[in-house]
Amino acid sequence: MKIFSESHKTVFVVDHCPYMAESCRQHVEFDMLVKNRTQGIIPLAPISKSLWTCSVESSMEYCRIMYDIFPFKKLVNFIVSDSGAHVLNSWTQEDQNLQELMAALAAVGPPNPRADPECCSILHGLVAAVETLCKITEYQHEARTLLMENAERVGNRGRIICITNAKSDSHVRMLEDCVQETIHEHNKLAANSDHLMQIQKCELVLIHTYAVGEDSLVSDRPKKELSPVLTSEVHSVRAGRHLATKLNILVQQHFDLASTTITNIPMKEEQHANTSANYDVELLHHKDAHVDFLKSGDTHIGGSSREGSFKETITLKWCTPRTNNIELHYCTGAYRISPVDVNSRPSSCLTNFLLNGRSVLLEQPRKSGSKVISHMLSSHGGEIFLHVLSSSRSILEDPPSISEGCGGRVTDYRITDFGEFMRENRLTPFLDPRYKIDGSLEIPLERAKDQLEKHTRYWPMIISQTTIFNMQAR
Amino acid sequence: MPTVVVMDVSLSMTRPVSIEGSEEYQRKHLAAHGLTMLFEHMATNYKLEFTALVVFSSLWELMVPFTRDYNTLQEALSNMDDYDKTCLESALVGVCNIVQQEWGGAIPCQVVLVTDGCLGIGRGSLRHSLATHSQRSESNRFPLPFPFPSKLYIMCMANLEELQSTDSLDCLERLIDLNNGEGQIFTIDGPLCLKNVQSMFGKLIDLAYTPFHAVLKCGHLTADVQVFPRPEPFVVDEEIDPIPKVINTDLEIVGFIDIADISSPPVLSRHLVLPIALNKGDEVGTGITDDNEDENSANQIAGKIPNFCVLLHGSLKVEGMVAIVQLGC
Repeated sequence: MKIFSESHKTVFVVDHCPYMAESCRQHVEFDMLVKNRTQGIIPLAPISKSLWTCSVESSMEYCRIMYDIFPFKKLVNFIVSDSGAHVLNSWTQEDQNLQELMAALAAVGPPNPRADPECCSILHGLVAAVETLCKITEYQHEARTLLMENAERVGNRGRIICITNAKSDSHVRMLEDCVQETIHEHNKLAANSDHLMQIQKCELVLIHTYAVGEDSLVSDRPKKELSPVLTSEVHSVRAGRHLATKLNILVQQHFDLASTTITNIPMKEEQHANTSANYDVELLHHKDAHVDFLKSGDTHIGGSSREGSFKETITLKWCTPRTNNIELHYCTGAYRISPVDVNSRPSSCLTNFLLNGRSVLLEQPRKSGSKVISHMLSSHGGEIFLHVLSSSRSILEDPPSISEGCGGRVTDYRITDFGEFMRENRLTPFLDPRYKIDGSLEIPLERAKDQLEKHTRYWPMIISQTTIFNMQAR
Repeated sequence: MPTVVVMDVSLSMTRPVSIEGSEEYQRKHLAAHGLTMLFEHMATNYKLEFTALVVFSSLWELMVPFTRDYNTLQEALSNMDDYDKTCLESALVGVCNIVQQEWGGAIPCQVVLVTDGCLGIGRGSLRHSLATHSQRSESNRFPLPFPFPSKLYIMCMANLEELQSTDSLDCLERLIDLNNGEGQIFTIDGPLCLKNVQSMFGKLIDLAYTPFHAVLKCGHLTADVQVFPRPEPFVVDEEIDPIPKVINTDLEIVGFIDIADISSPPVLSRHLVLPIALNKGDEVGTGITDDNEDENSANQIAGKIPNFCVLLHGSLKVEGMVAIVQLGC
């Protein structure tokens, strides 16, 4: 995926008008005493979420998956629309996290069912969305500055995901026309400005959501090109679990994600501390982690049926780490992951295990033959990555023997001393910028090379070439 | 990276070539002569390369599976029979299968197609294949672009003018285009004779099979090395920075890290760093030493001179560390 594709900037426009305060009519049973009902106790009535709550929860889950897998370079701008447009964050990297968005949404609060529906409209939000798409992000600015005369290579594309309750197909048509016109106007403005960029491609994803049990007044429509700059697709989805599933499918499509299910994870249960049962955890990641499977055609694609929608996932078996043997594997790609059921016990158990520093090898389930280790899960700097390991033959096998090559017949190399030298010249992360005596910025790479140069001015490679280094230290 | 030599053994390759002198050569012999030169070069200067030999006409056959034994490959060249019409597409499908089975889909391979430019007639010919290229279903997909990183080198036993007069040159150029532009077409300059075939293959050797010599440095400790396979230039981001980055011939170590800390990072390619003894005035690619004895004693002498690579290798293994090297700016 190119850095500046449509996925670089996503604008959520969520309807905050009074009708979004209505219930989605999907009941959530939360009173567990229903089963063992004692006499005289009246069970609590089941509750249901409003359309607004469903929309916010689903869009937050979309953002969570996106931020987990792409912590940088994929940005979200959140807009709620009622009597005006309220832009909740900006494109800066500091504003790109769930805490910011949740805090801002909490400040906005739920829609007011007693507000005047006449002046509330999703149109305010859509216009603001186009306006914000013209604004330059830090990444675009950096790339343009780097390229100077070739700055036009940096594209400005984006996606508007709008969750609303539309009245009819013609209403949807009206919203699309409005977006098209607004893009046209703003592109004219941007052409004359240094601080704005014209929108080259915009994908409009209109999600019409309505309460369970009602009829949908809007029909689904696949992606259609409305103009060279704007494409549009319409999804008609019942609120509640269906809306969550729809946005889950969309995030996978928009960011080229695929799913892997890790099976056979041994976990101890609280109640039965002496036994362990095997659990499955499903993870999302960029689909390139499966590229070897797709090319070889050897897919173990199983399906999991969730609420009626069939989702493809590849199953990998957990290999219990035997020893603490640290090995350098031939890895062809590493991808961040995001658990699908982030709040489940197995998911958090797996996450904690990995964050404590253990790596796990994953094998392709095979009915016969030797096992093939195809992936590895490992945590780096607090983030969890899925490494793709190559299991095919290596062109570097059978290298020429060291003892037959240059310098191979020498037997008294100062191997231990060089080992000490390597430990003294270990690299570590360089956090703060430092300055040299003359005031210029110290470049860590130059400093490292200088240090090596100084310490190797006299470094005899073999024991018989030196007296000093063979004398007892201290 | 592994090489697949795909040799055309169709009837058109038995066409005689007019050469002064008593011996009559067919185009097939010219091809075999060129390949012999290539194999000799690999045996002396590029011996870690795995090569396979496929012959094709209307069908294809893997005559020699991937090997580093160049004698076997030379023998196979002299045992080739003549077959029938040229069907290039099925041969290319065969190459896809062979490479994927052996190496998977991530290792770059070089495909050296040796042909005379006569690409068949009617059904099965390259012209026909290319014409129906876009109307394919999933099950009989056109084999290009290859499902692995690749370079397609087409060695034509013909002059440029001959290929241009039929539409063979267009078809062959289309093949390279379909392979994402990765590859090149070579033709014979001048009359079709052994000497000119040799210079054509010489150009291929210069382009793709010259060893990459570099200097590995750690401060003042240095060693002359060969990096195998040749590191290829790499494009960081096609949109922003489409100019490929090239690896320096000065490989500078900047520091060391424990294996546990480096944590199996994803790699673009893996290479062997082999110490070599470069005599002063030695040229890359010249090759065959005249005296076997001299070579052995030269090796013995080189074996006794302490080499930084051996020291580095031993220490890295013992300490369980890796060295970080700067490849370019």
